[in-house]
Amino acid sequence: MTSEATAHSHETEHHAPPAQVDADIIAHELIATTTNASKRFKTIAWVLGIFGIIGIIALVLKFLDQGSDSTKWGYVAALVSFLLSITGGAPMVAMAPVMAKANWVRPVTRIASIFSFAGVVTIGMLIPLVAMLPPLVTEGARRRTIWMEAPDYSPHIWSTLGLVLLFITGIMLFYSAAIPDFAAMRNHSTGWRQRLGKRLARGWVGTDSQWRTLRMRIGMFGTFYFLILVFVNFLITSDFGQSMVPGWRDAIYPMYHTVSSFQAGVAGIVIALWAARRQMNLQKYVHMDAFWSLGRLLFALTLLWVYFFYSSFIVFWYGRSANDIATLNLLVKGPMIYAFIAGMVLIWFVPWWILIWNKVRRGVNGMTIGAVIILIGLLLDRIRTFVPAWSVPPERIHEKWLTVIPETVYPSLLDVLIMIGGISLAAVIVMLMTRVVPVLSVWQVQEFNLLAKPIRYVRGHATLVAKPD
Amino acid sequence: MSTQSILGLFQQPELAADAMDGLKEAGFELGTFDVLTGTPYPEGAFGEYVPQHRLFRFPAFGAIIGLTLSIFLTAVTQLAYPMVTGGKPILSIFAMLIIMYEMTMLSGVIATVIGIVFESRLPNMKPGVYDTRITEGWIGVVVTFDDDSKVAEAQNVLNKAGALEIKTA
Repeated sequence: MTSEATAHSHETEHHAPPAQVDADIIAHELIATTTNASKRFKTIAWVLGIFGIIGIIALVLKFLDQGSDSTKWGYVAALVSFLLSITGGAPMVAMAPVMAKANWVRPVTRIASIFSFAGVVTIGMLIPLVAMLPPLVTEGARRRTIWMEAPDYSPHIWSTLGLVLLFITGIMLFYSAAIPDFAAMRNHSTGWRQRLGKRLARGWVGTDSQWRTLRMRIGMFGTFYFLILVFVNFLITSDFGQSMVPGWRDAIYPMYHTVSSFQAGVAGIVIALWAARRQMNLQKYVHMDAFWSLGRLLFALTLLWVYFFYSSFIVFWYGRSANDIATLNLLVKGPMIYAFIAGMVLIWFVPWWILIWNKVRRGVNGMTIGAVIILIGLLLDRIRTFVPAWSVPPERIHEKWLTVIPETVYPSLLDVLIMIGGISLAAVIVMLMTRVVPVLSVWQVQEFNLLAKPIRYVRGHATLVAKPD
Repeated sequence: MSTQSILGLFQQPELAADAMDGLKEAGFELGTFDVLTGTPYPEGAFGEYVPQHRLFRFPAFGAIIGLTLSIFLTAVTQLAYPMVTGGKPILSIFAMLIIMYEMTMLSGVIATVIGIVFESRLPNMKPGVYDTRITEGWIGVVVTFDDDSKVAEAQNVLNKAGALEIKTA
């Protein structure tokens, strides 16, 4: 076992080491968060739930009314991409620091893995899009996709399967890490939560062998999750983005989508952590250190966004071939230029100048404002990509490149309701899951306390962190 | 003769480690006693028996099988349908590399999943003696017997180490 000591000036309150909390208090207080819902929490959950139901009704109405015209489905495609980015990216962001044995991430992992459950909304929104997606072969000609010799409905089947697999792996990742907490619920909760804990704890008692295999399972599902997440991002961007536009060939775009998905995941975690800390009075468990570390990650990913965007953009800009120009005219300069500018400002420029300040990253509210701005920017970025892509009429899909740039497609009332409903539904699922399991992992918060001790370091304060090999 | 287990409960990890040492010194076999915790202590913190897992063998074995199969598949396919493409040799290693890589990885991943299942064993749904305070930070030292002759000795060791309570099942 190695240890490291991080010294801080005693003058800054934000850098003061977190106080130790007894394990029994952690268990009882965190399990109590599943039952003590405030009136505000219930009101917000009801409002979001109603928006969610309206969104589902709007989606069904849109399918009945516009189920034969794919050009009207760009906003739903943008919503799928947006939801995939947040709900898919968040668990991965929590896994990577765990694998690197970062101590700050322990109180964050549960809330991050809960985002996986909201992936069911992404799957639900994908269903009509799959029905809208043109077949690979139309009138004897095969359109340009990644499926060169594959059966006719390969993108429909594999994209759906990929998203379902991502959802299942996310749930398994959540469950693997939650087994000790289900045992804690079995021991200390009441009613249906206790029964659920008993059923899902699967005989967990906490032997050395159980802890070892738990670590193996978390590592295995974390690795699989990463592999599947990248693959699903590749499938969705290729089948529901690039292959809808004749001549749009961009090897960087899937990675651009994946990296911005990580950025969205961190932003989503920051907002959820802020809300949980504020609403459930979890200040003594969610320390400034977590926000400080997430802030650095978010800042790095924000700068990475512009790197990937520019790497992709420059190929088309210097290429200047007819299809390069047509692609830029469609996605950047054309019908969505204002969404592009607003998106770039909000996903990159403004967060850059917010998160660059140490004072902001050491705080809670400034970080949350930055995260909200990033998510708005991300939504605009997905709109400027997927709406123009889907606005290309299917009869032009066999052209070598786009000769006629479609007009700007503005959202209809149904589109607005679907987008609000889809995002609300995802948010309410995350909220409701905090009623089922503790929003912070009991055993990981206990482990945080076990491995990190506040110490006096010369004239300052420090946190001594043990790092087991 | 029935399997019996006793559980000593401690609040201090040092005392639980002392109990584990005492059991070893009293001649209890490794694997007949274990420590129960609500949070993962660093491996070996209680001087407990750490069985050597063999998980690393699974991906290595899977990858070797995948690589062998991929070489066989690509070579035999190309030899069975010999078509010269672009003046390249029939057995073109660069074209084979992609399939070799994919099959090696796939077999490695599948073997790892099997290895995890194998190493984890099936969950024990009737875990025997247990105390709910373990998830509140208490530490349990559980000793399992096939006969009753050593129960008193184990209780003595646990008491001597400072167990706050001893439960039997």
